[in-house]
Amino acid sequence: MRNTRRTTSVLAVALVAVVAVSGCSKKSETTAATGTGGTSGAKQLKIAFVPKLQGIPYFEAMNAGGQKAAKDLNVQWIYKGSTTADPGAQTDIVKSLIQQKVDVLVVAPNDPDSMAPVLADAKAKGIKVMTSDTDAPNSVREVFVNQATADGIGKALTDALLEKMGGKGKYAIVSCGQTAANLNAWIAVQKKYTAEKYPNAQIVDTVYAGEDEAKAVSMAKDLMNAHPDLTGLVGECTSSAPGVAKAVREAGKIGKVFTVGLGTPQAMKPYLTDGSSSSSILWNVENLGYLTVWAGAQLANGKTIDAKPAVGGGIDGATYTAAQKMLLLGEPLRITKANVDQFNY
Amino acid sequence: MTALVEPAALRSRRRPVARAVEGQELALVAVIAALWVALSFGTNTFLTAGNLSNIVFAVAPVALIGIGMTAIIVTGGIDVSVGSAAAVVMVVVAKLIRDSGVPMVEAIAVALVLGVLLGTVNGLLVALGGIHPIIVTFGTLNLFRFVALRLFENKQVTGVPSTLQWFGGGETGLSIGVPNAWWLAMAVAAVMWVYMRHWPTGRHWYAVGGDPAAARLAGIRVHRRLVAAYALTGLLVGLAACVLIGSGGLVQQNAGTGLELQVIAAVVIGGTSILGGRGTVLGTLLGALLVGTVTSAITLLGWRSELTELFIGVFILVAVGVDLLRERRRRSA
Repeated sequence: MRNTRRTTSVLAVALVAVVAVSGCSKKSETTAATGTGGTSGAKQLKIAFVPKLQGIPYFEAMNAGGQKAAKDLNVQWIYKGSTTADPGAQTDIVKSLIQQKVDVLVVAPNDPDSMAPVLADAKAKGIKVMTSDTDAPNSVREVFVNQATADGIGKALTDALLEKMGGKGKYAIVSCGQTAANLNAWIAVQKKYTAEKYPNAQIVDTVYAGEDEAKAVSMAKDLMNAHPDLTGLVGECTSSAPGVAKAVREAGKIGKVFTVGLGTPQAMKPYLTDGSSSSSILWNVENLGYLTVWAGAQLANGKTIDAKPAVGGGIDGATYTAAQKMLLLGEPLRITKANVDQFNY
Repeated sequence: MTALVEPAALRSRRRPVARAVEGQELALVAVIAALWVALSFGTNTFLTAGNLSNIVFAVAPVALIGIGMTAIIVTGGIDVSVGSAAAVVMVVVAKLIRDSGVPMVEAIAVALVLGVLLGTVNGLLVALGGIHPIIVTFGTLNLFRFVALRLFENKQVTGVPSTLQWFGGGETGLSIGVPNAWWLAMAVAAVMWVYMRHWPTGRHWYAVGGDPAAARLAGIRVHRRLVAAYALTGLLVGLAACVLIGSGGLVQQNAGTGLELQVIAAVVIGGTSILGGRGTVLGTLLGALLVGTVTSAITLLGWRSELTELFIGVFILVAVGVDLLRERRRRSA
């Protein structure tokens, strides 16, 4: 008797929990839907973008650029992502968009391999398929909108740091996810380029802090302790870039240890101002969103993309490589304390 | 009846020396000491003030929440929502000190009150609902995270001022060369150690975890003790959030993600029985310190980062294994 009552109450509360949880995921979807732009014309193109996760400033900036392009080009822009960078949750969202019969589906895949079959399914249903920000190289995608090449970023990071270090000395890299393909590609370029161009400089270690800023801070401090003659640190992603700068600031080593990284402008601003970060290498994220919508519209209208396309929306220097089906935004941007206020994300 | 309520007290009369420490604290002290000696000889960078203060600062939030979690696990419960609760407190406090310029004392007060509130929600659901705590707090893990994400409003909190730098990892967060955050963890642990060993209401937690029905028959107000354990954990989550904000800068949407697992790891490695009824906050402090030492040592030695996970996994399994063996021996004795 007692037991059954207990089981019932367990079930009841489990049910309440499930409802509550699904309730909140539904709610975040509605918030996402408010991000749709444009008016509901009869033949208006529907371009949907699924970011790695929703709510971080990086993808919100991309969303802002996408909304702007949707208005300029008179298409409907759907921006919908999961609140965690989870490949499974992302796949579910992509499948629901396929059900909604969008015209163009753009994904920044968390896991390119598991996304590939889903994209193939979308293409079979007549949807134009693209990737943006992160590629799924072995998929059926028809265009990849690339923010910058691995080569460009790796070299820009290395040059920005070595400029401060006087072209020599020891530095270390605090990366994030150990399996993140783009970060690993950049690190490979940094290693090769440092060895070639700066023979007196040396990368002493590469560590992985996950997407956790506090862990990046403590690992950067460990690295400074382990190598007392360290003069440089690279924060490879948007959580470790402010992380390494904070570590230098807290250790009182501003001016002795220099840092660069891939950080979003507003997060880096306090560190750029006090010198704990020398510069942040990034690209214009809003423009990346704009370019994504533009490419989607080209694709859906059956137009080919020129080698040096005229995009509009203030984008200059985009290039298209037909062999790789890759549309490149341009050279990476160096953000310093001089120009950080131009960016509101 | 008394025997049920205060078994440890009875046992301590039989074997006073062995009962001075209850779990595997001695073994942990030995392991940590051995590690520190080995690392001091193996590297010339481990035994430096900068490194040691980095280790204890990094584990301070885990240790603080772990003290409350020890009380909860002793009652036979668990709280997996602490990471999300910390995120709620962090976003609220970070926004208050950045946007409204709230000074330090008020910011701490808000953090503690909010922490207690969130903890009490868990406590009431566990005590009155009669559902297993892992289900209740798994629910609130998601609910609290939802609340935190709404408060973030799709933006991370950047440019947080250094109002709470007393708790932080910089020069301003040190007293006598030791991070204030760690002093706090030790002070709270000392108070809780005395409370849980010598205060009747402290001992009641063990009784509740040992056998709730018997505890109730013995006149212990089980519900009240349960709510107290969860509310205390909430309070310490608030304190840990102050440490995590620290010298300011950035609070990300993923703040506190996975913190619950680090906390539970420290508690379990510290010798607290996951089945309830046994465990000490001293062990938890040592467990956190062991994890922090290993994490830092792997970077110092230039080993691969993922070895941290390997070592923590082995520690947890060894700790649980030793606990099971001890339990079996106790039953056969």
